[in-house]
Formats: sequence, structure tokens, C-alpha cells
Amino acid sequence: MSKPTRLRITGGAVYDPANGADGVVRDVCIEGDRIVAELPASAPRLDARGMVVMPGGVDIHAHVAGSSVNHARRLLPEEHAADPLPAPRLDDRAVARSGSGGTVPSTFATGYRYAGLGYTTAMEAAVAPISARHAHAELDDTPIIDAGFFVLLGNDDYLLRQLGAGEAARARDYAAWLLGTTRAYAIKIVNPGGVAVWKGGGDRRNVSGLDDALGSSAVTPRKILEALAGAANALGLPHPVHIHCNNLGQPGNATTTLESMKALSGQRAHFTHLQFHSYGGAPGKGWASAAREVIEYVNAHGEVSVDVGQVMFGAATTVTADSPVEHLLYASSGRKWVNVDIELESGCGIVPYAYKEKAAVAALQWAVGLELFLLANDPWRVVLSTDHPNGGTFLSYPELIRLLMDRAYRDERLKAVNQKLLAGSALLDGLSREYTLGEIAIITRAGPARLLGLQGKGHLGPGADADVTIYTNEADRAKMFATPRYVIKAGTLVVEEGQLRRAPAGRRLAVRPEYDAAVTKDVKRFFDESACVAFENYGAEPVA
Amino acid sequence: MTDRTVANVTCLGCGCACDDITVVVTQDRIAEARNACALGTAWFGDGSVPAETRVNGRAASVEQALTEAARLLTGAKRPLVYLAGDLSCETQREAVAIADRLHAAIDSLAATAATAVLAAQRRGRAGATLGEIRQRADLVVFWAVDPSARYPRYRSRYATGRQNRTMIAVDVGEHRGPAEADGRVALAPADEVDGLEMMRAAVQGRAAGEDERFRSVVELARRMTGARYVAIVADSEPGLAPADPARAEALVTLAQALNGPTRCALSTLRGGGNRSGADAVLTWQTGFPFAVDFARGYPSYQPQASAAALLAGGEVDAALVIGTPATLPEPVTTALARVRSIAIGPRASTATFQPAVAVDTGSAGIHEGGTAFRMDDVPLPLRPSLGGGSRAALVTIHALRERLGAGA
Repeated sequence: MSKPTRLRITGGAVYDPANGADGVVRDVCIEGDRIVAELPASAPRLDARGMVVMPGGVDIHAHVAGSSVNHARRLLPEEHAADPLPAPRLDDRAVARSGSGGTVPSTFATGYRYAGLGYTTAMEAAVAPISARHAHAELDDTPIIDAGFFVLLGNDDYLLRQLGAGEAARARDYAAWLLGTTRAYAIKIVNPGGVAVWKGGGDRRNVSGLDDALGSSAVTPRKILEALAGAANALGLPHPVHIHCNNLGQPGNATTTLESMKALSGQRAHFTHLQFHSYGGAPGKGWASAAREVIEYVNAHGEVSVDVGQVMFGAATTVTADSPVEHLLYASSGRKWVNVDIELESGCGIVPYAYKEKAAVAALQWAVGLELFLLANDPWRVVLSTDHPNGGTFLSYPELIRLLMDRAYRDERLKAVNQKLLAGSALLDGLSREYTLGEIAIITRAGPARLLGLQGKGHLGPGADADVTIYTNEADRAKMFATPRYVIKAGTLVVEEGQLRRAPAGRRLAVRPEYDAAVTKDVKRFFDESACVAFENYGAEPVA
Repeated sequence: MTDRTVANVTCLGCGCACDDITVVVTQDRIAEARNACALGTAWFGDGSVPAETRVNGRAASVEQALTEAARLLTGAKRPLVYLAGDLSCETQREAVAIADRLHAAIDSLAATAATAVLAAQRRGRAGATLGEIRQRADLVVFWAVDPSARYPRYRSRYATGRQNRTMIAVDVGEHRGPAEADGRVALAPADEVDGLEMMRAAVQGRAAGEDERFRSVVELARRMTGARYVAIVADSEPGLAPADPARAEALVTLAQALNGPTRCALSTLRGGGNRSGADAVLTWQTGFPFAVDFARGYPSYQPQASAAALLAGGEVDAALVIGTPATLPEPVTTALARVRSIAIGPRASTATFQPAVAVDTGSAGIHEGGTAFRMDDVPLPLRPSLGGGSRAALVTIHALRERLGAGA
């Protein structure tokens, strides 16, 4: 049964929210790499009686491959030394690779660990276009999971020039060209305009709000948001623009977050790691939770989707294109710090970090994330994430699921954290909600797949990709979700009896929208004047 | 093959990885590498490479050579894999897989910059890709280096003279900055680390003392603080004296400290042959940038036990050298002469350490494509200007890997 061409998973409780199955006991049939409606009775069977069957997990936002992630790996030899991974013993003498873990694992370890967690799809959330070739090479070395990346555009020099010149159509064509040439999946904005200001030197280090003009031009964060959200929707991209708002991590930033959402009112847009953008209070005057305000807006606006970016206690590594924020974190934490300004495009900042239960701000962040989850009305638009490895690693998802499903456990954990900044928070007031397995299936697979526009992912209907995770139904939800019994990826049984057994290559997820080719002439002119990489060598297409 | 011209070729002659070279091919030889500097011209040469395959000094088929290579490697107790120059990242990825399979130690040319890499692992870095320096820097400080010798086009491509840009040379003993600098400051080699610390103190507004030896660098620090965007250019490749860890760390921390009052990037110069690619590939596959040991079945980091040290210690009983043997650091070459070795790469048959198995291949960027990294970790495609005639390194290393089998 090394690669079952046919398999009937029998007797499991199926959680397939996209097809209305909420724990219904039924068979799931696989033929080749697809789910099919029925199989002959003679097809091989996998006995899943008493178990929970879900589509493979889909991570909508994680930092797992590319230049910034590799800078983070290089910075953390001590973590890798502490978490060595011998090559797994795979069946059929298949190629198995050793590696190292920590908060930023090696590529093979990343693929194996995602699969071991029952996740079969992941999106790398921030790749500078100039490093796209690097990101693809790393994803080629990340086995099992289907993966794609979001390409950074919110501080791009050429794009900002087009906005300054009022060339909206050209900006859109540029975005389309860039997505295709870098083989990216979606458009990412990180701190719109703020990174460009940080790189510019002089007296300013960041933008502070939506209407903070960049230089003398009329380019503002608001205009960047409008232009790129508009471009993503006009181009019909499967995933809308993916936004990391201004003022990440700052007290009082909920105002900016809500303004950003309102600026795009009526347009599809995805706001990422919302937890880091939902704080009340004011700079220099303290912190508070503003989760309720922010999630109430999300609840009332169907065009908005979010992932939470939960903070989990323990080791993390902050790695982001939001380099001015990392400078603040470096200055306040005194830890080691990487900054890389990326020519004409973006930035990169890295600071290793640890969230401690006894630290007031970390406890607030933890609480804000849980409040967002527990106060959300529509799980289809509120995705589980930790902004891996920023709020914690993807290995902490099972613990997070337990916090959402088990109120008694959550309340017990709440008592142990620093309460100083939690006064008036919804969590401290008592939130009784417990997520159901069906809701977990939505926020970890069905929802993110739908928001990403991945039609074959996140469900188990006929024609879907045969990505299936089977769990033992245990009361300890953290244990249950940490060690799936079986994981099937594209029809291949990769995890059997809790052990990784096979590691096929994953597929690359990319888009290639259409655009007016005239834009490339203008981009080439810009490259000849300003870039120090040849236009012909840019992007991630084969050249020879 | 017909005469032709290939544009936008990436040169691996040094870490600048200039990708604006136009290679003119006449009668299957490189007649000209337009835009290339002297180093680049020498690196391209006429594109001719030997095409021999030898086992124990005798001509052999590639099949025989790979069989013998596999026999030596699987029979070894303590194999070493070394990534020399002129390999694509694609070939490097296969080579790391071989080391993983063999439970071998692996090191690369990236280890030549070990001091700078280790400093960055302790402290981090304040850096930028080279185009950012070209775009932004209004003050460029060449710290004890004139790039024109080892990185000839660095200044013209990435720190070109322009209006409102000032270039300052810091001369440390005989390590002098560019002669054309707008200003210069001198430090005695013994004062270099203290000088950097004094500068950092001045940048952070701490008392920098009144010591006359540091007066001019402290003044420079104040000038840097007042600039809009500062670039500090320093060489991370070793000179004659061993690199000082404290110096490498002091350069990093000075550049970081300048990112408060102003903006600053430290540009660490690195050599050619895609050694930055080897660093990147090892990092993403193992978590460590060089000096990795798979002996325990997983990667462990042994920066104090580099290839040269392992070889000198007499532990290694078989070495697989992949890449151009002539790019190896001298201590590695010398030590390799004492062990059984396999050389696969451009001009492998001319290796002075007398490998038991030698398989000549083409060179990445001349005979085969793929990806290479610039010294600032920007990936660039390689465009072969000559094809056909030579055996591809990637195909050869992949074939060796297949022969070694998959499982541990």
C-alpha cells in the first residue's frame, strides 16, 4: 500500500464543513490523488472507526522559506543544535533527510513536521521579489506540503512611483507581471510605506498612520492599500490582498487597524496576524486589549477575513519585512538583531524572542489573540495562525486548539498569566465559548482553503485533492492534534500509526494573471536606471 | 556550435556576481567577456576545460569512476565532503544530500569568511543588499579595504561616485582604503578594535575619551551619525593575518548602533565561485552555514573543526571534493594530499592533491546553468555560454548520489 491508487477510509467521524459534514460517520474514498464519490467494494480499506477524519490542514500564513527565513536560520545555531532531527526511516528506501528544528527549522524538517501535524498545505507569507528564486529553491527542498508564497509589494519602489504618478492601471499591470515572473500566489503588503521610510534614512524611521505621506509625493499607506486591494480584486486573484497593517505591536494600534479595514470597505481583503494589531492604550501610556472593537468590525463586514497570529508562551523568532518594528524590538530587548534593507523592494528584520507568562505585555498579547477567536462570529473568516515563528511555531497549534476547545483548561492557564494589563478584557470577564471539532476544521482547513481560493483543498468532496488527516478522538485535544494517526497527501499515506512513512514532493501553488505587456518595457527602463540586477535575470523563471 | 553572443551572463569571478556580462563565443571558445573586470576575464578564460576521467591515474569511464568513488565513500569511516568553487546551488544541494547519506562532515568555501559569519551569529547584522547601498548611501566608509583588488567592480556597480556621496577610507596599517577617497583616517592595527568600540561609544553618546590615537575615528563616528544613510564596507575574506573575532563583532555592533541616530548597513565582502550559495544551501538544509558534521546521523555544527582542521587531525579517511580544486584554501589542498580523495568538478583532473578518482566537469555559469548567490545573498540565474562539450557537474553529482542509494 505504498501509494494506494484506491483507498476507502471507513467508519470515521467525518468533519468536512465545506460539504456540511459535522462528525457524520461515512466513508471517504480516494482514487489516485483525488477524492471520489464511490469505490468498488474490493478497494483497500483503512479502518477509521472511532477516529476523526478531516481534510489536510492549510496554513494561510507562515514564514517557512526564502531569504528572510534563511537569515533567521543562520542566526540561530544554538536552537538547531538543541533540536536535532535524524532522518526519518521511510518505507521503500525513499530519500530521507536529516535536519534541525528550533523555531526556524531546516527545510526538510519543516516539511516533515507539517505533515506530522496533519498539515498538507502552507503559504510562505513574505518573499521579496528579488529573492523569489531563493524561495522556490527552498520550497523545492521542503517535502510533502503543497506550498506557495506571497510576494511583497507594499513598499516597492516602482509601484510607489506609479501611485505617485497616478498610474493606477500600470501599477496593476506591474503587480500582475511581478506575480507571474516570481511565480507567486498572492500580493502581500507589510506596513505599507513604513518600510520605505525606514530605508530612506534621514529623520523619519516609519510612518505613523494611514495618511502619513511618503516624501513629497502624495503616496500614503491608504493609497497603497487601495491600489493593491483593487489590483488583487481586479485581477481576479484567488486570494485577496494579504495585509500586515501599519503600527504592528504598538499600543493603540487598533485605531490604525480599523481605519485600514474601513479604507477598503466593500472590497475583499485579508488582514493577517490581527492579534498584533488589536491593542488599545497609547504609545508611552500603556496597553490594553482592543480585541472586542476590532473583531466586532470583522464580524459585521463579510468582505474582511483575518488570521489571528496567536502568541503562545515559549520561544519564538520574530522575522518580518517590517524592519522598523524589529529595530524597536532590538532596542527594547537587547537581543541579537538582523536588519537587511532589500533594494527597491522591501526590508527584513529578525529578533529571537520568548513570550513569558509572567510578562505583562506577552500575557496581554496571548489574551488578545484568544479574545479574537472567542468573539468571532464567523469561523470561515477567522483563521488559526501564530504567524509562525513570530507568535510561536506551528508546532504549538495543537496547544492553541486545546485552549479554544477546553474552557476549563483555558481558565486554568489564564490564572497563571500576568494580569496587570488584562483589566477590562473580555477574557478576564469570562468567555465561556468552546470551539467544536467542526469549527476547528473550519479555522484550520476549510476556511483558509476557501480564503486562499484553493478549490481542491480544505474539503473532502469528490474531485478534492486527496489530502486527509485522521486523528484518534482523545479528550486531550492538544495530544490529539499533535499526533495524527494517519495523514494522506495527494493519495499517498505519509503518516501511518503516528509515524512519518513517506515523503513525496509537494506541489507549488502559483498564479499567472494576465496584464498589458507594455508595462514590461517601462519596468525594464526602470531597471536599467535603478536596479543592479539585470531585468532579464529577475524573477524565478528558468533562463537557460 | 555556431558563433554567438550571450547577454546578461552572471560572473562568479568574485562575490560581486556581476550579471551584466556579455559573452562572445567564436568557434566554441569564449572570445570576449564584455564588461568583465580582470578577475572576471580570467574566470571565464576561453571556456576550455579538460574532459578527463581518471581512476588511480588511469583513464576510465565515468561509470567506472563513479563506482570507485562510491566504493571509497561507503567504505570510509570518516568521510568529508568539501564544496569548492564554481558550483551552482542545484549541485550544492545534491552534494549536501550525499554528505547526509554518508554521515559525513561537510564544509565549503564559505568557511573562509568564518569569522564574520560567527560574529553575525553572535550579534546579528545590520546589512543591506548591494543595490540599496547604491541607491541610498550618502556616506561610504571603506574599512581597511580597497575593493578594487579583490572585488574590482564593487565600487562602480554598487558604490559608484555620485553627487552628495562622500567616500572615506579608513587605513588600518597596510590595509588601506581606496586612494580616491574624499577623506581618510588612519589607525594602527593594534588599535583597530578599540577604535571601533570608541566609535560606537561616540555614536551612542557615551564618553569616547580623549585618547589622541582615536581622535580621528571618533570624529568620523560623529560624521557618520550625521549622515542620512551610512555604508561601511569591510572585507570578510582573510588576508595574511588570521581574522580577529573581536574586530568582526565590533564592525557589526558599530553598524547596529548607527541604526538609531541614522541608518547604516555593513557590507561584508565575500569571494567568488558561489561560496555564498554554499552558505545559503547548507543553512536551509541543515540549519548551519558551514562546518557541518552528519556523523551522528543529523547535522551538528563544528565551526572549530573545519575541513582543514579535520584533515590536519588525521581523522578523515576519504574526501569528496566537488568544484574547482584550484579554489580550495591552501591548508585544505595541502592536507588533502594525505588522504584518499575523489575530485569532481571543473579541472578536477589537474588537482594538485592527486585524487584517486577525478572526473572533469564543466563550470557553473560557463558550461551549465542554475542559480548562484551574490555576496549579499541575492540569487541570480546562471547562463551557460558554452554547452554540449563538457560533462555537467549537476548530472555527475546526481548520478553519484543515486549510486550511494537513498536510505541510511
